[in-house]
Amino acid sequence: MATNAVEERELVAAAGAPAPRRRPGSRLKWRNTLIGWSFILPNFVGFTILTLVPVLILFYMSFTNWNVFGVAEWTGADNYTRLVQDGSYHKALLNTLYYAVVHIPLTLAAALGLALLLNRKMRGVAFFRTVAFFPYITSIVAIAVVWNMLFSPEFGPINQFLTALGVDDPPGWTTSATWAMPAVIIVGTWREMGYYMLLLLAGLQTVPAELHEAARMDGASAWQRFLNVTLPCLRPTMFFVTVMLTIGSFKVFDLILVMTNGGPGQSTLVLSQYIWQKGFVENQFGYASAVSVSLFLICIAVTLFQFFWNKKKEA
Amino acid sequence: MKRTTPIAIGATAAIALTLTACGGGTGGGEEATADGPVTLTLAGWSLDSTPEFQTLADAYHEANPDVTVEVVEYPAGNDYATAMTADLAAGTAPDVYVLKNLKDFVTYSNGQQLLDVSDVAADLDPATGGVESYAAEDGKTYAVPYRQDSWVLYYDKDLFAQAGVAEPDGSWTWEDYDQAAQDITEALSADGVKGTYLHNWQSTVQGFALAQGEGADLLSGDYSYLAPFYERALALQDAGAQVDFGTITTNTLTYQGEFGLQKAAMLPMGTWYTATLIAQQASGEANDFEWGIAPIPQADASTTGTDATPVTFGDPTGLGINPKTDEAKVAAAKDFLAFAAGEEGANALAEIGITPALTNDAVTETFFALDGVPGDDLSKFAFATHDTRPENPVATQTAIVQNILNDLHSAVMSGSTAVDTAIEEAGQRVQSEAGLS
Repeated sequence: MATNAVEERELVAAAGAPAPRRRPGSRLKWRNTLIGWSFILPNFVGFTILTLVPVLILFYMSFTNWNVFGVAEWTGADNYTRLVQDGSYHKALLNTLYYAVVHIPLTLAAALGLALLLNRKMRGVAFFRTVAFFPYITSIVAIAVVWNMLFSPEFGPINQFLTALGVDDPPGWTTSATWAMPAVIIVGTWREMGYYMLLLLAGLQTVPAELHEAARMDGASAWQRFLNVTLPCLRPTMFFVTVMLTIGSFKVFDLILVMTNGGPGQSTLVLSQYIWQKGFVENQFGYASAVSVSLFLICIAVTLFQFFWNKKKEA
Repeated sequence: MKRTTPIAIGATAAIALTLTACGGGTGGGEEATADGPVTLTLAGWSLDSTPEFQTLADAYHEANPDVTVEVVEYPAGNDYATAMTADLAAGTAPDVYVLKNLKDFVTYSNGQQLLDVSDVAADLDPATGGVESYAAEDGKTYAVPYRQDSWVLYYDKDLFAQAGVAEPDGSWTWEDYDQAAQDITEALSADGVKGTYLHNWQSTVQGFALAQGEGADLLSGDYSYLAPFYERALALQDAGAQVDFGTITTNTLTYQGEFGLQKAAMLPMGTWYTATLIAQQASGEANDFEWGIAPIPQADASTTGTDATPVTFGDPTGLGINPKTDEAKVAAAKDFLAFAAGEEGANALAEIGITPALTNDAVTETFFALDGVPGDDLSKFAFATHDTRPENPVATQTAIVQNILNDLHSAVMSGSTAVDTAIEEAGQRVQSEAGLS
């Protein structure tokens, strides 16, 4: 196509007529591009002003020590050296990893199980699907208050149930440093499995029924069909769900804040909450920015890893 | 023509959406000239249940008809500081704002968010408590206190009579307090009433430790002075004389509910609770019972008794002026500050049950003339006589240290960490995070 245009131009130039300045068809292309940009412009302008620019400023702030009122003084990599030695930062990082490592497989398994259960035509399936989604749309404060009461060591129904079953020393849940994180993970899983169930349901609808039939005719059991037909077809959806779940788990904040506020001592202190404390409670915005950048790098690293893994599986 | 219209609409939509996204954030008080009527804006919180701001505003307007004080509502609790910081940084804060928590004072004064009001402070009645808390390192005063709460012991006279236990008489030490709590719990165990209620704030233990403890210094990095106070609190909790810390957190119990509905016979709390209790008894939210205020139990017998001055803790609540206020309004603002911290402001506040910074005889009389306030001598003594030590000494690291000690509080009171281990950990954290040793 390019060669034709060049030749055309040479012929025209040779014929003495003025050469066209652009290639034919580029005017239409340019117009289409402009129309496209004007559609994404509202969102992009908002994104730039409210997200992109603050994030770039954040990168700059992490090299300063700003206390929100004065001028930000450049301190170089001081914040980062402090980060590496900070015991509370290590605690927060470990807690975040603890939360992520347990929460992600648990939510994935629960969501997948629910999706498989509700992926059939039965009476009331729409009702059950809606009900499974309720926890996700409920106010987080309401969830925290109710679950806190459920987990109450002396008066809560959960411990009463455990005692009735014969457990001698039921865990202290949110009032105990060892059991606070499991309690939060349980609530987090309960809350998010509805949302991911929806996504996986949509993915399950795309699995062709003929493949299942063919597998059934070949004598595959339900479990074998699940492993060899459902899961491979579900891979794009699973990839999306895993990436969102991972990023969400690393950034968990509202649930911890309203349920335990860092837990007894620092047992449920997570990175996002540490950033909040350092920035908004202690007014050390420079250091908080450095912690934010570290969280950002962790999320990016894990996501990139997942992308490469997926690409490898795709090949 | 057909193609340019969608582009034009798209561009207009883009601009319109961006502008609506950026809009919002109206500033306060932009009216008035210097000579005419002046309008000052004052920050306040929970305006429905905290009448003190409107009271001060109305009282000042009565005394100075030229000046109107408009109260602007801010979120309550810890969010107040966050919202105020954001507004100050954005330049939209009101002319006069309340310094709700003393630990934020250093942030604001260091950040040049307070106008120098040394002239106002110099003219105040010398008996005004809490002025020295607002003196910055450079010797200038940047705010004036209008309230000085201190912690006292509220007790339910009816429950004491029912249990047959002797009421506090101003001579109690912490041992006497522990004994009374356990006796009442035993006597009233059939009704499920506990001897006392210790709210889950860190100040309920650490405040007393800092004020009464030996060698107590918040910024020293050595927190062994907390140990005896925590051991006492944990012993009471284990004996069942007060509600478990965990239960308070999970069931979100309120101190107003526990004492007001007579689930506990004693309550160490700040004097701000008086106004709330009176209002709740009047509205029926709290039970109708006889109650009194006693001086807080002391750590050693030398400061007990009505001849001595009991040691307690508390922080002043102050008013500061936003440096971005119009020049023309600064004079009016300073006058408002002098009013609020002076006798007229103190009387206005005492009339609604608030403990002002100035508690001279006239103010005490106004306070105890209120309907519902216990009129006995011990209550008057507890209200007027106290050596109130600051809960938050003014320093840049106070906020960080208090944060660390808050973690210590929840770790120890929930039984997750032993007292000594937690104190050691706190010392190490303070060293590394606050740079103190």
